[in-house]
Amino acid sequence: MRAYRGARFYPVDSAPIDEGVMLVEDGKIVGIGRDIEVPANAEVIDLAGKVVIPGLVDAHSHVGMWGDGEGDASRDGNERPGPITAEVDAIDSVNPHHVSFQSCREGGVTSVMIHPGSGNAVGGLCFAAKTRGEVVDDMVLKAPTGLKGALGENPKRGGEGKDSPKTRMGTAALIRDFFARAEEYGRKKERGKDPDPDLALENGLRVLRGEIPFRVHAHRSDDIATAVRLCEELGIAFNVEHCTDGYMIAPFLAEKNVVAHVGPGLSSRGKVEVANRDERNAALLAEAGVKVCLVTDHPFLDVRYFMAYGGVAQKHGLSFSDTLRALTLSPAESIGVEDRVGSLAPGKDADFLVLAGEPFSYKSPVLSTYIEGVEVYSRIDRRGG
Amino acid sequence: MLAIINARLHPVSSSPVRGALLLDGGSIREIGDIRVPGDVPVIDARDRIVTPGIIEAHCHAGLSEEGIGWEGNDGNERSDPMTPHVRAIDGANPEDKAFGFFREAGITSSQLTPGSANIIGGEQLVAKSKETLFIDEMVVLRPSGMKAALGENPKRVYGPKKSPATRMGNAAVMRKWLSKALAYSKKKESGSDPDFDMILEALLPVVHGDIPLRIHCHRADDILTAIRLAEEFSLDFSLEHVTQGHLLADTLAEKAIPCAAGPSMVHEAKVEMRGNGFEGVATMHRAGVRICLTNDHPVVHGRNLPAAAGMLQAAGLSSDDALGTITLAAARHMGLGDRLGSLEVGKDADVVIWSGDPLDARSFADVTIIDGEVVHRRGDDA
Repeated sequence: MRAYRGARFYPVDSAPIDEGVMLVEDGKIVGIGRDIEVPANAEVIDLAGKVVIPGLVDAHSHVGMWGDGEGDASRDGNERPGPITAEVDAIDSVNPHHVSFQSCREGGVTSVMIHPGSGNAVGGLCFAAKTRGEVVDDMVLKAPTGLKGALGENPKRGGEGKDSPKTRMGTAALIRDFFARAEEYGRKKERGKDPDPDLALENGLRVLRGEIPFRVHAHRSDDIATAVRLCEELGIAFNVEHCTDGYMIAPFLAEKNVVAHVGPGLSSRGKVEVANRDERNAALLAEAGVKVCLVTDHPFLDVRYFMAYGGVAQKHGLSFSDTLRALTLSPAESIGVEDRVGSLAPGKDADFLVLAGEPFSYKSPVLSTYIEGVEVYSRIDRRGG
Repeated sequence: MLAIINARLHPVSSSPVRGALLLDGGSIREIGDIRVPGDVPVIDARDRIVTPGIIEAHCHAGLSEEGIGWEGNDGNERSDPMTPHVRAIDGANPEDKAFGFFREAGITSSQLTPGSANIIGGEQLVAKSKETLFIDEMVVLRPSGMKAALGENPKRVYGPKKSPATRMGNAAVMRKWLSKALAYSKKKESGSDPDFDMILEALLPVVHGDIPLRIHCHRADDILTAIRLAEEFSLDFSLEHVTQGHLLADTLAEKAIPCAAGPSMVHEAKVEMRGNGFEGVATMHRAGVRICLTNDHPVVHGRNLPAAAGMLQAAGLSSDDALGTITLAAARHMGLGDRLGSLEVGKDADVVIWSGDPLDARSFADVTIIDGEVVHRRGDDA
């Protein structure tokens, strides 16, 4: 057993603890508080003057499958051709030895949800992983965690020649058609009609049965509204990825209980559909009552600078506690892994960060990153003392 | 005239000092422990930090416009790898939203540069982030340099059916045209009156060393190719991006080559960007390389340049040195070290009052002043 003692702890789901103690055994948190008795056999780690927060959870990432200085050879995020590629699974594109996983540990990100890209109207399965390991299957936190969908510019840009979609209404029609076929496929199976196996429709069925949500890329306010319209019509669970114009229709999204994965941070307006990008988006959404998760969309924001994105969101009106939650417990809940990660509480995985000071300042770099009780990054080691 | 009083002045060129700043006719007239004449309008800094305006020394604002799509993309004249005759001033739109965000974020000057699709991509300029429809009114220096590029971009845009298709092709295209420009120059000097050639005319100030060739290079071998070519033709030159410069830090320091490092906040999007990050920039700084920091707006939005300098401080620079990489070092990189980048008597009155530590992502530019005119106010200063 180890006792981390003396730091200020931000458990996220309970009040901050000054000069607290956190007990860790077998990769799990077994106790946290101010007046916790430290067992005599425990190894004590003195963290006086430091700050401890849960490992960050990034609910929209492409680590291990995109970029990473390998060029075309490792561009494995968008399966083309074809606007419907529901049969693919992100886990089959992810290389744990890509440098981006080291970047996660360096930036304090201990859990990620890895998505296929947004080139296709239905892009494939997402899954959640810890950011440490040699074999991706050993890193899995939960799989699958959703089916990726996309509206707006990207899918219509992807179509070659005369292929649909060419318009926003074309993309919506393709998604409608896909789920209608999945429903029919499911009906046939139930009636024992034994249809030919179709991996894409099988994954559509998982969404229709409520096993996984549809996670829909949408930037512009009308695309976000289309996501809501489609998913309500289909009666499926969903959330909105990016949600760039969300602040323009925040009360609507709050009423619909939409979870917004807002990001990537610190970027500019490269596309028309992000022309209304506003740094206050996260704050205004939260103020209206929308659950907000900040996301890196790595490599679009380098995951090493996730915490700086939190600083920018805070600067533009997101409260400190909401910012911290948007980087930890809210994404854990959105992914469906809040029983394991996202806060510091007994029974949860010992995924945590030791910071030099208060979060979200460049003066408070990550000193250590722990996953399941193992130190997976140390700033001092890396900088050679 | 305008005075800023009760300021914690960070002049960059000298140690921080408490006092006042007197601005007159677009320049700084007095600084420090001074008496402000009674009739001068005053902004009370209320003990906040005051710095020179922030400078984005490698920027595509106005040329890669925000939220417009291809209609607003005027940064790369992709018709040919050799386009020194195109000019940023003819492509940069003062109505790009970026300039408004720059004013809000305390970014007072930027070097507007063509992209890196071409071996030589066109003439650059330095602009103030003023609100105007006339780009000419924003210009501080034109031309401020000539953009060039090595590495992946030109060979990706033109290869494999057209030259350049390889890195050696990149170098050959540049060598060929610089040689032609030298021959053209000799003919003109000897009075043999060659036929007018706009491309070669545009290269004359480069081969004469009148303006710097600013060479896009990420990978270590591309950096060395840039130096080889520039030295072969005795060019005035700078290196742009220099992502793997930390591997060559001693060489870059010894040769005293001006380097604009960044964008460091993005990941290794391309093979040639392997090893990208603030640690590398800090390594170069420690080795004594002449380094300034850039976000390559819009690759990372220029408004986040102070936050990027904060990351550089986290990587080991002192706060003054980190601030210097986006002010005085950036001004020197653009050839404007005598006019911009520090709070000194006689320099341009480009000044920012900050809500907190300028390099903290959570701080705001409360007041931004360009040429002595207030161009942005927020909060209690509004």
